[in-house]
Amino acid sequence: MLNFLKQVGDYAKGTAEAAKYIGQGLSVTFDHMRRRPVTVQYPYEKLIPSERFRGRIHFEFDKCISCEVCVRVCPINLPVVDWEFDKASKKKKLKHYSIDFGVCIFCGNCVEYCPTNCLSMTEEYELATYDRHELNYDSVALGRLPYKVTEDPMVTPLRELAYLPKGVMDPHDLPKNSRRAGKLPEEILAEIKPESK
Amino acid sequence: MNLAEGVQFVSFMLLAGMMLAAALGVVLLENIVHSAFLLGMVFISISGLYILLNAGFVAAAQILIYVGAVNVLILFGIMLVNKQEAFKSMPNAWLGKLTTAGVCAGLFALLSSMVVATPWAISSEIAAGELSVILIGEHFFSDFLLPFELASVLLLMALVGAIVLARREYLPDELTEPTAEVFKLAERPRELAAAGSAKSDRGG
Amino acid sequence: MEQGIDLQSTFVDALMDLGVPLGSAKALWLPLPMFLILVSATVSIFVTVWLERKISAAAQQRIGPEYAGPLGSLQAVADGLKLIIKEDITPAKSDPLLFTLGPAIVVIPVFLSFLIVPFGQNLVITDLGIGIFLWISLSSITPIGLLMSGYSSNNKYSLLGGLRAAAQSISYEIPLALAVLAVVLMSNSLSTIDIVQQQSGYGILGWNVWRQPVGFMIFWIAALAEAERLPFDLPEAEEELVAGYQTEYSGMKFGLFFVGSYVNLVLSALLVAVLYLGGWDFLIPIELISRWTGISESTPWLQVITASLGVMMTLLKAYLLVFLAILLRWTVPRVRIDQLLDLGWKFLLPISLVNLLLTAALKLAFPIAFGG
Repeated sequence: MLNFLKQVGDYAKGTAEAAKYIGQGLSVTFDHMRRRPVTVQYPYEKLIPSERFRGRIHFEFDKCISCEVCVRVCPINLPVVDWEFDKASKKKKLKHYSIDFGVCIFCGNCVEYCPTNCLSMTEEYELATYDRHELNYDSVALGRLPYKVTEDPMVTPLRELAYLPKGVMDPHDLPKNSRRAGKLPEEILAEIKPESK
Repeated sequence: MNLAEGVQFVSFMLLAGMMLAAALGVVLLENIVHSAFLLGMVFISISGLYILLNAGFVAAAQILIYVGAVNVLILFGIMLVNKQEAFKSMPNAWLGKLTTAGVCAGLFALLSSMVVATPWAISSEIAAGELSVILIGEHFFSDFLLPFELASVLLLMALVGAIVLARREYLPDELTEPTAEVFKLAERPRELAAAGSAKSDRGG
Repeated sequence: MEQGIDLQSTFVDALMDLGVPLGSAKALWLPLPMFLILVSATVSIFVTVWLERKISAAAQQRIGPEYAGPLGSLQAVADGLKLIIKEDITPAKSDPLLFTLGPAIVVIPVFLSFLIVPFGQNLVITDLGIGIFLWISLSSITPIGLLMSGYSSNNKYSLLGGLRAAAQSISYEIPLALAVLAVVLMSNSLSTIDIVQQQSGYGILGWNVWRQPVGFMIFWIAALAEAERLPFDLPEAEEELVAGYQTEYSGMKFGLFFVGSYVNLVLSALLVAVLYLGGWDFLIPIELISRWTGISESTPWLQVITASLGVMMTLLKAYLLVFLAILLRWTVPRVRIDQLLDLGWKFLLPISLVNLLLTAALKLAFPIAFGG
């Protein structure tokens, strides 16, 4: 009998505990309702891409020496380098260069290895098209520079989490020129230089 | 005939027709699931007749118990049991069918002669209507106490029986022997079974 | 006890003054409240869907629908329009008749149950003697429709979903009915009007929540399970069953399920408000206010205000419960099927039986407080 009563007591205790936890959960959910939305309202607000953002690749036609290093380091040999040997100058002459961004994985190996730095990453990521063949960029399209988010009057630029001041979670309504948390790269450089000397 | 009587007549005809058609469907349809659903329609038509007789409580109870519980259980039974059995062609099947037909016809004749012979005394009392719940309760605890209690004992027995069946520890030990067949694929590959046109009860 | 405005007799009297016979005047009145309730139930879907989307968004720190109408309030209308013009697909080798009939059987009982929901003293379609029992019995038809659509879709997920829905619905009906029974025991009547009347007179203190706290919890849990709201939405558990019995449906047939589930939620909330939160009663009894201010209760303009206040209070209480249901949706994880049946049969059923017994005992012991 006593054992049974103990069981009943334990059961009741468990039930009360479960009810308590559900109540706690409800209060957490309720508390979230008064917080400001953290979502970025995309076409009207955009995050500012970070310095090392790996977006669509930019290509400078005149710098290219048609060495094909980019093709060799590419995991899938994606860049198409069309050149012919110019006998007069005894140099390769680039005719066409293209990268298909429908296939590219934006690993950045080509940018890393390019001996003349004619390839670089941009901050462009809006690559939606109606036809996937439109993503096959030729040298003209590759040479275009993307429009900066910060300069677009239609868009409210928002800083990413790592670029917010210390303790701030919300990128909206930041005071102008508010500093990001931590040291800037050039400051770290300036600190390191005297030490190494 | 005023509006209320007209509505009553038309609804009675509709309900009676619906009930008879559905009941015939239960018996005659080949697909057992269709029969089960039509059974629900029979029950609903009966509850409609109760409403016409001013017995709202009985009508609601009819829906709750027969449609909500009995019919759903029947459907559950049909859909959970997936036993396929090929019927052996019996040599003298017509004999059985003939006997069944004879018994059914005899029963029908008996019942219809009873219906015709009985002098039905139509009660002139006004139906209890809204008060029926109270009246039913009073009857349950006075002159119908024994059947009421017997019914509850019956339900208790059914409950205990279900618990005994469901509890594993009361199963005989021989059945629980693990066999090598456990590792075999239990399901046999089968073609897309048509839910509607299946001849026998496949249960989806 | 006739009080408040009686729209029916006013309407019939007005028509009879115009020379219409009594029978025709009553027949002309009949469709009006039904039509009104149908329309308001449909509008309540839009409100509930909007609330659900906005509150869900707020709970997840999103914004939610924003562009369709002011604050996205027309989003549900847009969704409904989309569903209407969407192609209606009947899957191959399904049972077309049952496939079409299933959603209709799910929706019809829910709308029929609005017959007994009172919004005021005389603002109810029919004050049936069996009142709340009608709702319980009508809601037991729904699993038939779910089984029907689950079976006829010719899809194993649909069948499992339909079976789960039926199992869930019949197991939670029992605690639901027992919780209602305790309330009925106190008010000595099944009629929803009488149940509210029994709670009125003391304002917020007279509501059944204080006398039936356990019954309130049981009823709310069981009602959530009956409406397949989120802690108990196993029949549509998308991680396991794609969408349960709705998997094969598209277009307006899916729309019917959608409509049915939201109307069912609103209906459950309304009935909780009626059974436990005093229905159309204001926080302070109206009689007290009229006594303080010295205005007679039968003053026409006061009656109009009282009636509209009653409707407002009913809807406010119901939507407060809808809000709670939405909040619960984002708080509590979905239960497993065995946990669901355990909760129904091993927890709610005994507790509701004990609650019923206690209520009966208390009614005998304190007939003043628990309805003599």
